[in-house]
Amino acid sequence: MTELVTGKEGPAAAGPTAEQQGAEPTVVRVSQWSDIRARFFANKLAVLGLFILVVLVIVAVFAPLLAPFDPLKQDLANTLQAPGGDHLLGTDSLGRDQLSRLIYGSRIAMIVGMASILVACTIGIVLGALAGYFGRLIDSVIMRVADVFFAFPLLIGAIVVILLMGRGVLPVVLSLGIFSWATFARLLRSQILSVREMDYVHAARALGASQFRTIRRHILPNSLTAVLVYATSNVGIAIVAEASLSYLGVGVPPEVAEWGNMIAAGRDFMGVKDFMWMYPSLAIVVTALGFVLLGNGLRDALDPKLR
Amino acid sequence: MRGAKSAKWVAAAAIIALAATACGGGDDDASKDKGNGGSGKAGGTFRLGITEPVSIDPYNAQESEGILVTDNLFSGLYEPTADGQVVPVLAESKQVSADGKTWTFKIKAGTKFSNGEAVDAESFVRGWNRVAQKKAASDVAYHMAGIAGFEDVQSGKTDKMSGLSAPDATTLQVKLSAPDFEFDTKTTHTVFSPVPKVAGDAKNAAYNAAPIGNGPFKMDGKWEHNKKITLVRNDDYGLKKAKLDKVEISILNAANSANLEYQGFQSGQFDWARMPTPQLKPAKAKYEPQGEWLELDTNGMNYLLPITDNGPLKSAKAREAVSYAIDRDAIIAGVFQGMQTKSTTILPPVFKDVYTKDLCTSCVKQDKAKAKALAKEAGLKPGTTIDIGYNTGAGHEEWVQAVAQQLEDVLGVKVKASGKPFAELLADQQKPGATGAYRFAWGADYPTPDNFLFPLLSTSSINKDDSGKVTGDNRGRYSNKKFDDLLSKARATKDLPARNELYKQAEKVAMDDVALIPLWNRTQLRLVNTKKFADVKMDFHEDPNLAELSLK
Amino acid sequence: MGSDVERLVMGRYVVRRLGQLVVVVLGATMVLFACLFVLPGDPVGQIAGSDKARDPAVIEQLHKQYGLDKPLVVQYGSYVGKLAKGDLGQDYTQGRPVTEILAPKLLNTAKLAVVAIVFDVIIGIAAGVIAAMRRYSVWDITVTFSTTLAIGVPSIVLGMIMQWVFVIKLGWFPLISDGTFNSLILPAFTLAIIDAALVAQIARSTMLEVMGADYVKTAVAKGLSRPVVLLRHILRNSVIPVITYVGISFGALLGGAIITETIFNWDGIGLALVTAIQQNNNPIIVGVVTISVAVFVVLNLIVDLLYAALDPRIRLA
Repeated sequence: MTELVTGKEGPAAAGPTAEQQGAEPTVVRVSQWSDIRARFFANKLAVLGLFILVVLVIVAVFAPLLAPFDPLKQDLANTLQAPGGDHLLGTDSLGRDQLSRLIYGSRIAMIVGMASILVACTIGIVLGALAGYFGRLIDSVIMRVADVFFAFPLLIGAIVVILLMGRGVLPVVLSLGIFSWATFARLLRSQILSVREMDYVHAARALGASQFRTIRRHILPNSLTAVLVYATSNVGIAIVAEASLSYLGVGVPPEVAEWGNMIAAGRDFMGVKDFMWMYPSLAIVVTALGFVLLGNGLRDALDPKLR
Repeated sequence: MRGAKSAKWVAAAAIIALAATACGGGDDDASKDKGNGGSGKAGGTFRLGITEPVSIDPYNAQESEGILVTDNLFSGLYEPTADGQVVPVLAESKQVSADGKTWTFKIKAGTKFSNGEAVDAESFVRGWNRVAQKKAASDVAYHMAGIAGFEDVQSGKTDKMSGLSAPDATTLQVKLSAPDFEFDTKTTHTVFSPVPKVAGDAKNAAYNAAPIGNGPFKMDGKWEHNKKITLVRNDDYGLKKAKLDKVEISILNAANSANLEYQGFQSGQFDWARMPTPQLKPAKAKYEPQGEWLELDTNGMNYLLPITDNGPLKSAKAREAVSYAIDRDAIIAGVFQGMQTKSTTILPPVFKDVYTKDLCTSCVKQDKAKAKALAKEAGLKPGTTIDIGYNTGAGHEEWVQAVAQQLEDVLGVKVKASGKPFAELLADQQKPGATGAYRFAWGADYPTPDNFLFPLLSTSSINKDDSGKVTGDNRGRYSNKKFDDLLSKARATKDLPARNELYKQAEKVAMDDVALIPLWNRTQLRLVNTKKFADVKMDFHEDPNLAELSLK
Repeated sequence: MGSDVERLVMGRYVVRRLGQLVVVVLGATMVLFACLFVLPGDPVGQIAGSDKARDPAVIEQLHKQYGLDKPLVVQYGSYVGKLAKGDLGQDYTQGRPVTEILAPKLLNTAKLAVVAIVFDVIIGIAAGVIAAMRRYSVWDITVTFSTTLAIGVPSIVLGMIMQWVFVIKLGWFPLISDGTFNSLILPAFTLAIIDAALVAQIARSTMLEVMGADYVKTAVAKGLSRPVVLLRHILRNSVIPVITYVGISFGALLGGAIITETIFNWDGIGLALVTAIQQNNNPIIVGVVTISVAVFVVLNLIVDLLYAALDPRIRLA
């Protein structure tokens, strides 16, 4: 998970590459829900992850109530104030309250993180299901297109799309989604390939179930588990990617209260006003960690064998 | 905190310093005789960092960095001084016809290019024609646009401008297609340099990377792209010789070169450096008492460029309201750490003869009441949207946001500030139907007010093409016959004080219309190693005066 | 491997994959080309870094010189034609060959990637092996915890912290990267840490799996000493997924570690890309993306082949 692999090399790709996934499929076996829940809550780190994320969601939802100031309100007479006093975490170079910007930043992080993965998941599931179930020509075409998108380093691909659409939340969501779906498609496809050959699917088909019904009722639910796990850990990656884009000056506009923007604004003040980049950095780390822990916890709970 | 140095770092610096001294020491005896007097000693290596120039060949050298090198490799007819005067270099005399269309220059005889070739009138003709050629696609060729026959060379019809001739080795005659009593001033630009025969065409990779010139310095090796350029003293220089033995120019990454220059200065790797804005205050506190701080308002200006023929800022009153609504002092104090100077004119203070402080009355102090009253008259009301465009990644984000908020607070309008890549911003300004305002900066290529007033504000500089796209530099579309007439009159006036008076009047006309909204001057700050070097100054191009400075 | 049949299968597989590789590179460059083409603004409309518009006559000449006056399809066609000859065209600022500009930068990026991978593998495998051998010990918990933490730390944050600690506070390394090994250490370490955490996790779980396998138990039962067993079986088996991972990761690193190169001002192709985007220097943008996609795809192929070579259970389909 180097920065550029980000979004591609999750747990899924840690094993063999796509070519071999067909040859040596890993099948997630779904156990009883109660077992899963029990295993999840027995895992302290996973619970910590869940806790972090719940807190974050609360902060994001109630940002207007929690933030002491308007995150956009400038105060040129009080720029670069050190933490303390009225401004608990200090002010930036336009005199805006850092704490309020940090709090509002959680909104952008959550929205972009989840929405972009939703976009990626949707494209990936539809195309992956088509490829996996129908095979042959459809499979080849979809998988070659996936190869093209897979080969684009995430940030580079996203930057190109944003250049086209202009800076903003929607372009960031779409660009990250567009360059992250390939892995979802590959993952689902390989899952389907293995599930498809299982006895109960054969049985369903023998009993005369339609293709669509077979996909929907039997194949998808069983294959989606792996996708779900992967998606969870990838929300954190998407949040990091979004912050990185803003850090590079191509993400959301600079006035928006967003963590990557805050780090970028603090970069030149390193050694002079370190609080400027340290707090937003901490926020990103905690958030990313929350998703990693939750993702790992889910994976372990769903399939203890993988641990 | 930033000053913390590692032992290794200090050691490395010490080694470099030793090497420099050793080098200087070795050459000292030889060069002392050649150095033409002056207070300082000859010898020494001056080190600085720049960003990768576009070109160091006079045919296309354009920004401060490229000109730093070209200006020291070549000597032309005249050169500009830091305070906006024009002084002769190779020109012994000049003569202009009464109609302002024929210029005759006498060139100092007996000087040579560093390859031994004589610098004569023909070498100037050669150099100028080389630039104008179509294939050169030179960004600076337009400075020659006034020479008769320029169009034919640009369009590829011929490769020699009909207006240039060299009646004898020391006489250069230039015929212009329109009167221009400031042509001598224009020749201070490095694009008017002479070149030797080996220069060949403009696109000559070998020469582009290691130009052979007639300046106080010559190339040591060739330009190592993105790495370094090394200059050594030209001991055969025909005019006053430089004192430095060597200039080592490191090419830094543009991404954060100011940071790197500053770090390099602190660690003793550079003798001249810019600083990133956040470090200005601590740097000033540390280096000003040691006499290593250099501060100068140069020949550039920063404006808000209003679109004057369309949209919310169409009326002069609306523009004045905007100008009154901006609290320049607060932005300078808050965003620029007090390290900029507010500007109250269109022309930079460096043009002393025409500078009229506080000409822009709305710039002097924020006046919310006046701003509101004017806005009301101009029909700027809540609900009006003013677009402000700026280019990203160049440090404009913060002050633009501050201006946007002030306009919203004072005028009650909605400001939409959008950052865009440079090319897109230009396309926005050029396209028919553009509105609002843009971040805008301008610097003079040679010291004359005309270089601001004509390209930025004359009607003929709007220059719309068939699609209505503005191709000139007057992208605010300011057009006022009175202004145009004054400018034409100035251009046709031979007498300098009379001409300057007309430029002053023209500036006042444009300022009364608030054709441009002045923000701050181009204040340049540098750190200079005055412990080791004497007489270091910032020249017209914001570069160190390498040919004059000396070891202490 | 060995029989003629197997070699034939292998050969066909490589040919097929190479064919796919060309398709992917062409597809990627086509997408990019189309995007850049419709981008607003004229990439050569302006004098670099200033608000001066270029002279229309010069713009026209530059359009001709760069083929910008031709339709997209023709431009793409000539790009592909040149690409086949290893020519990436000329850049817009200086008119120099893109290959000449990018070659030293690619070398810098490669240096960074190699050192990062070396750090990465050494730290990762060591940590993974220790954790697996001393399962449930303090060591194991420390490794598990720190790897989880490391995976959560993005490179923007890690890079900033490294710079703050080692350059600003301790002053051990120069801020100016001069291309020397000394200035390479911090960015390489930043890149390596996150990867190393993953390598450690993979190494640990594979180790555990192999250690539990019957043949290893048998080997120990037969009286072979533990270190020998480790060397012969475990390490050899665990190394396969690590190599896979490292290979892919290396490909991605060569594609330009944008963030790390930006933070540490490392003069590689990632930084070149960021600069080119600001300057609308499209030939450089296309060049960097072409290189990074090609490198990524080729390394993927190599990894797959290596994988097949190392693990006889895998058949190439």
